[in-house]
Amino acid sequence: MSTLALPRRWHWLPRTLGMRLLLILAAGLLLAHALSFALLFYERAMATRGMMLAGMAQDVPLSVALLERLSPAERVEWLPQLQRRTYRYLLRPALPGTPLASDRARQVTALIDRSLGYRYALRPRAVSASPERYEVELTLADGQPLTLEVTPSLLPIARWLPWVLAAQVALLLACVWLAVRLATRPLAQLASAAERLDPAGGSIAMAQDGPLEVAQAARALNALQARVSAHVAERMQILAAISHDLQTPITRLRLRLEALDESEVQARLLDDVGQLGQLVREGIQYARSANVALGPAVRLDLPAFLGSLVDDYQDMGKPVQLGELAQVALQAHPQVLRRIVQNLVDNALAYAGSAEAGVRVEAGGRVCIDVLDRGPGIPEAALAAVLQPFHRLETSRGRETGGTGLGLAIAQQLTQALGGRLRLANRTDGGLRVTVELEAAQATPPGAV
Amino acid sequence: MSHTDHILVVDDDRDIRQMVGDYLRKNGLRVSLAADGREMKAALDTSDVDLVVLDVMMPGEDGLSLCRNLRAGKHRAVPVVLLTARDDETDRIIGLEMGADDYVTKPFSSRELLARINAVIRRTRMLPPNLQVSEAARLIAFGQWRLDTSARHLLDEDGTAYPLSGAEFRLLRVFVDHPQRVLSRDQLLNLTQGRDAELFDRSIDLLVSRLRQRLGDAAKEQAYIKTVRSEGYVFCQPVVLVGDPA
Repeated sequence: MSTLALPRRWHWLPRTLGMRLLLILAAGLLLAHALSFALLFYERAMATRGMMLAGMAQDVPLSVALLERLSPAERVEWLPQLQRRTYRYLLRPALPGTPLASDRARQVTALIDRSLGYRYALRPRAVSASPERYEVELTLADGQPLTLEVTPSLLPIARWLPWVLAAQVALLLACVWLAVRLATRPLAQLASAAERLDPAGGSIAMAQDGPLEVAQAARALNALQARVSAHVAERMQILAAISHDLQTPITRLRLRLEALDESEVQARLLDDVGQLGQLVREGIQYARSANVALGPAVRLDLPAFLGSLVDDYQDMGKPVQLGELAQVALQAHPQVLRRIVQNLVDNALAYAGSAEAGVRVEAGGRVCIDVLDRGPGIPEAALAAVLQPFHRLETSRGRETGGTGLGLAIAQQLTQALGGRLRLANRTDGGLRVTVELEAAQATPPGAV
Repeated sequence: MSHTDHILVVDDDRDIRQMVGDYLRKNGLRVSLAADGREMKAALDTSDVDLVVLDVMMPGEDGLSLCRNLRAGKHRAVPVVLLTARDDETDRIIGLEMGADDYVTKPFSSRELLARINAVIRRTRMLPPNLQVSEAARLIAFGQWRLDTSARHLLDEDGTAYPLSGAEFRLLRVFVDHPQRVLSRDQLLNLTQGRDAELFDRSIDLLVSRLRQRLGDAAKEQAYIKTVRSEGYVFCQPVVLVGDPA
């Protein structure tokens, strides 16, 4: 049972921790902000209404009493002075509206009625629902109709208020983003450092600074890497030491055998000793290939490099040919590269009888050195396994081919040491293609004269 | 053949030392044995040695430092064949930089060792090294090229490396070691005879034309290697020793 995977309904969530944190924090903060603003507005509305009602209870009877005493002509002059922010007086009957709809309007009407001592018959009419507006009509002593037009409204909001609000939200989001970044960036660095971690011990230790938790994780990772490196180094040293100490007895054995009279048995024994010697030699090579001393890099002309290598094989009478030769040079360690290609060619010669070497530039600029053969190839399922040390195919590639099962493993280790990649593929028209793929960053296009 | 070559075999392993000695004696050579650097020096001081076979991995002073000291002392002209434990390019380079003339990788066959011994003796006999050049300089400059003698490649003016095959390198090395000197085809064939008799069916002429191609030397101009009719070839560029490539 996996508890790590999110249930199906959460799948819309962003995949990165950073985005999720950002989402959660931002949503929480915005919600809290909205709530506090709602509370503020509610308080303000309540306060405004309280003020309005209190004012009305004193103001309306005074105004009505004043208007009662004035002549109709004077009333018109006085009306603007009696006007308040949320209500005004009009000398006309109320508009034909509907009965009052809201509780608040009824409350206000009752308040007016009470403040006037119930001396007038009030005729309240709702005129418009939104914005809310209602009129309360009464008849003055001299028969003139007086209408109180109420337009309840909050105190107006300052124009800058929305801007402050927006600025606040932006500030919050910026802080959230910063905090999330602070928390997740060391994680990403940690992950990339762990990815670069090289068991052979070639990689640089992680910086152990930053926040405490990150520093601890980095320290732990460094310690882990040190342990892994020590392990690998120890294994390699043992392999090298054993192989190395075997050389002296094998040399003795060989010299002794050669001193014997020539016979079929002697020839077979010499053959065995030869295989033993090769195994020991390649064991040492493999042990050292994990952290090979690269030496200085030079800009290497690849066609010349392959040409000289193939010439060497041809001089020894081996059927090795040059294939496609792209004019390309790159920063490389010639000795290591030579060892890689030699191993691949030797492998092809052992299993296919002949080989072809070439260089081409792939789309994307990667430089690929190919070693091709027309042998039986390798079953697709075993392509990865043959790169393992001491792996040998049980089928046609038997013991009589004389391989130790280390050639490809050495080539792969060395290719990795150069920062490249070794690829194996069966050719569509038969045979095997082994490709040494090298970093393109250091390659230079043709044209150097 | 009045002179019998005198070989000094230096190896800390008694069995190997004696078996190598027996084999070389059986093949008509005079042999002395030494177990370490002290015995080696004593043998060199008391008798004329034509060649030293020197094991690299020895307790105490190892073969590489013995070889270097030999090159610095009064026996500097004695050729040395190293017995190395690793056939790694870097080890080969170190060995040759220490002044060894050739090397054989353990476990070796006695026949292989004898072949190397004979090749080295023949080489030094036939054409004594031009001392000015053979003082183990790492870079040799001529024309528009520099030859890196350790890494065995040519460097052009931009510093781009053009590797040479073993046979090409040996031929070029003979040429730059003996500039302005006519070398016969026989001499060249013998001097460039490498391991495994690589040049078995290749004529010197073919190798020279390959080398000219590498040098960008058109056959008509012959700016580097001139053909001397009925005599051989001559390397006609002045040669300058440069320090380390770094």
